Amino acid sequence: MSLWTFAPFGSVAWELNLYWTPKLVIRFIITIAITAPPRPRLSHCDTFGTALYALEVARTHPAKRSPTLGLLLGLIVTLAAVVGYSVYITWQVKGLRQLQSGMIDRNRKDSLQLLRIENDLNLLAVAMRDMIDNDEPYPLTAWSAQFQRIRTDLDDAMRLEASLAPMGRTREQSAELSSSLGQFWDAADRVFALAGEGEEKEARAQIQLSLQARQAALSTTVSRLLVRNSENENDAAQRIVQIYDRVQLQVYLFLGATLVAILLTGVSMIRWNRRLFAQISELSQRRSELAQKLIATQESTLRYISRELHDEFGQILTAIGSMIGRAGTHAPEGSPLRGELQEVREIAQETLERVRSLSQALHPVMLDEAGILATIDWYVPTMERQSGIAISYEKRGAPFDVSGSASVQIYRVLQEALNNVARHAETKQAWVRLRFLPTTLELEVEDHGVGFSARPAKQGIGLVAMRERAELLGGQIVFSTPVEGGTRVHLSVARVNVEPGEKEKS
Amino acid sequence: MAGLASLSRLPALPGLAEAGGTTSSGFRFADVTSSAGISFQHNSGAYGGKLLPETLGSGCAFIDYDQDGWQDILLINGMDWSGHKRQRSTLRLYRNNRDGTFRDVTAHAGLDIEMYGMGVAVGDYDNDGFPDILVTCVGQNRLFHNTGKGTFADVTDRSGLGKRSAFSTSALWFDYDRDGLLDLFVCNYVKWSPERDVFCSLDGRHKSYCTPEAYRGDTCWLFHNRGNGTFEDVTAQSGIFDSSSKSLGVAMLDDDGDGWIDILVANDTQPNKMYRNQGNGTFKDAAVEAGLAFSNDGRARAGMGIDVADFANSGHAGVAITNFDNEMTGLYEYDGKNYQDVAARTGVGLASKNTLGFGCVFLDANLDGWLDLAVANGHIDETVRNIRGNVGYAQPPQLFLNDRNVRFRDVAAELNAGFDQPKVGRGLAYGDFDRDGDLDLLLTTNNGPAYLYRNDQLEGNRSIRFRLVGTKSNRDAIGALVRIVAGGMTQLRMVKSGSSYLSQSELPVTFGLGKSERLESAVIQWPSGRTEEFKNLSAGRCYECVEGKGISPLGGF
Repeated sequence: MSLWTFAPFGSVAWELNLYWTPKLVIRFIITIAITAPPRPRLSHCDTFGTALYALEVARTHPAKRSPTLGLLLGLIVTLAAVVGYSVYITWQVKGLRQLQSGMIDRNRKDSLQLLRIENDLNLLAVAMRDMIDNDEPYPLTAWSAQFQRIRTDLDDAMRLEASLAPMGRTREQSAELSSSLGQFWDAADRVFALAGEGEEKEARAQIQLSLQARQAALSTTVSRLLVRNSENENDAAQRIVQIYDRVQLQVYLFLGATLVAILLTGVSMIRWNRRLFAQISELSQRRSELAQKLIATQESTLRYISRELHDEFGQILTAIGSMIGRAGTHAPEGSPLRGELQEVREIAQETLERVRSLSQALHPVMLDEAGILATIDWYVPTMERQSGIAISYEKRGAPFDVSGSASVQIYRVLQEALNNVARHAETKQAWVRLRFLPTTLELEVEDHGVGFSARPAKQGIGLVAMRERAELLGGQIVFSTPVEGGTRVHLSVARVNVEPGEKEKS
Repeated sequence: MAGLASLSRLPALPGLAEAGGTTSSGFRFADVTSSAGISFQHNSGAYGGKLLPETLGSGCAFIDYDQDGWQDILLINGMDWSGHKRQRSTLRLYRNNRDGTFRDVTAHAGLDIEMYGMGVAVGDYDNDGFPDILVTCVGQNRLFHNTGKGTFADVTDRSGLGKRSAFSTSALWFDYDRDGLLDLFVCNYVKWSPERDVFCSLDGRHKSYCTPEAYRGDTCWLFHNRGNGTFEDVTAQSGIFDSSSKSLGVAMLDDDGDGWIDILVANDTQPNKMYRNQGNGTFKDAAVEAGLAFSNDGRARAGMGIDVADFANSGHAGVAITNFDNEMTGLYEYDGKNYQDVAARTGVGLASKNTLGFGCVFLDANLDGWLDLAVANGHIDETVRNIRGNVGYAQPPQLFLNDRNVRFRDVAAELNAGFDQPKVGRGLAYGDFDRDGDLDLLLTTNNGPAYLYRNDQLEGNRSIRFRLVGTKSNRDAIGALVRIVAGGMTQLRMVKSGSSYLSQSELPVTFGLGKSERLESAVIQWPSGRTEEFKNLSAGRCYECVEGKGISPLGGF
């Protein structure tokens, strides 16, 4: 829980319990602006104006157009382009695959089988050559097993080849191959039949006359089919090149379109970003102004109440006291009336002292009359006495004049820092260091208590107020943790910013 | 093997897990070549004519030719080309002196014969109890019959294998028709003879070695054993005939678990072949469906050496095929349906990217119960470093240790004895020549010496060995499957001829047992179809098992 406690003893002024979140701060500022008590010597118009200003701040922000729609549109366009392109590519790849598997692979497998057939035909040719050479001690029938082996392989190759025949193959072409082969085997069977009957010479003549010629014709047919396959392959390769060319063009187009989309989206993002930053900075400026105005209003209110208490009520009470004193002299010595009057006079005197003390607390007159140094000299022991914290007070440097307005801010920072020590630090010792350096005025409040980290996570509004005051002074405030632990509040303001101007001096 | 295929991979035994738990390989090699008395120099016949066969030979074998229980050594040799004679060079037979040394008995054995030898297959084709030798050659292959008296007789012509000339490479003995007689499978590389040599050049002026693309392929041969000491060429009617193949390596397996042995052929620049035995005397190539014909990217690689074994202890054999440099070694694991090349995933791929592999064998080098992979590397082109800076002519052999999760790490550099010194490696075979229960390595180089590396175990891992004698089956029990269970883990070996490159390892099978002392069971599936189970066998010895007549421990290994 964070408390914004401007009043030192929490008796006067106001206290707000709020969790510090950006939203809440804005709402808080607006609430303050609307419901702040009317400042004495301030017209209603001023208050109303402040409220209107705050409302305007609240209204202008959401009224701006959101970039979401534009970005969404960009995203949709990009995604649509990607999907469209994917569909196109898939379609092209599908076509390519069809061409590859339906045409080239099939062609290649078919060519392999044709080569196998050709190899078998060559084996037959070699066997027939050996048969004609007649340099083996075996009859021609010895080759029948070798022929059978080749035939088995040829049949298998023919079966596979038929199932793989390219689409361009005509029925006549297929029929030609199988019928030629059939005729070859018929002739071969006749040769072996002749050889089996002992007609070796006639069988050899048949091989030369018919079998070798048929084998050659078959070989030519297979070669022609291989050439046709090769042409098909070239054709398919050509088509593939065309597909690749088309795809390449599409890739460039797609890349171009994507680049343009990315560029447009990027530019729009940058534009929106810049606008957003400008808005944030404007908002921050307004918030700062508002806070400063608030502080000024508060200070003047406190000063007014303090002065009223001191001047008006002080005089009245002094007058009452002296009047009762005089009245007491009229009463007989030792009479009960005299005694009571004396009692009333003492009460009036006590009240007077309280009022003066309160006035001093709200806004030390001293600050206006004796300056910041004397006020701090007075305030530190007072605070020590009231809070029970031992405060080591240290001054350094040659004091210089500090303007009244700056003095208030410095005093309030000290007040807030010491109050924080008393409330949150859980320690009974603190250090206050005031340094009048040649070009700077420094105020440091340090404790070795629990420190920031051990306190509730939410930032107190007191810290915000301290920052605003430092800003008002044109100085810097740094919250840090000393080596020993606890908190160090360090305020430093340039001397030129705090010294009274010519007007104020005079 | 079908029954075994259903077995899931079992966790390693605690005892097995302890063995080789550290990063060390668990064994060392000692180069005992000269101390054992092996003094061999391969003669490729190279005189500057750059003839194709010069780059490819030759092989080696462990063979107990005198049946004394100690593995002897056979080293195949080439010879000078006609018109360029400078020296006499023959294959060498070294008899095991049973004290870690060998004695050259070539001449005494009657093998002191000059031929351009390439590979070797060892098998007792006449079931007389003594292993016979087929030497594949450039030109005429030779079949040597073991007389049982420490000598061999050249029966090439008498057996019906004569009068045929080819560029033969690897070969294997197996009983494809399950008649109890070993039949013969021979790989042929390309149609080449000195007269048909093609001029190839890298610079347009000087002759260089041709790649196989320059030559026509040649079919592999399958010879059926008639049982009377003669063989019948069944290449054509069995469906093996394939004039496009350029075969270098061959291995046997029972891929479909039907008891009929199938054949895997590694082809150079041609698709590999898997001839599945149809059980009726014919074969059908199933390499493409099985995923073994090509590399993962569908290319026919330069297949050189090949081996087949259950390196994942999954109950089904996997395959290793060595390839050219810039081609990874193919390491195929059976996934329940097909074979997947797992070379890259298992660490073998990258390590074999810059090597040209030839001989390759699966063996449990550290006896931890998991098959490791040894590879002999070496380029064919002496000037390869001028073209590919990171590939040398001589290349270090590799020994990939199986970490039990089918991740392989080449530990060649940790094995001492200069094993990882670069060599122009070709043939590779394993055998326990010193009968200490672990597998020693025999490695041949092109135009260079042969190396014998003794395996010395460091961690005290145990092993058990089986020497199988067929009665109804072929006497060598080639094609028999041995499955053992030790502490819940199942291991599988096949008694096999062939495999690797131009070479043959010993016929007895060896199982690493880690720290286990006993076997829960051993099941033998004979080629005849008979299955026998034995229990409570002890580690640390070799058992002789005669088909249908029980099992008996030999003294030690």
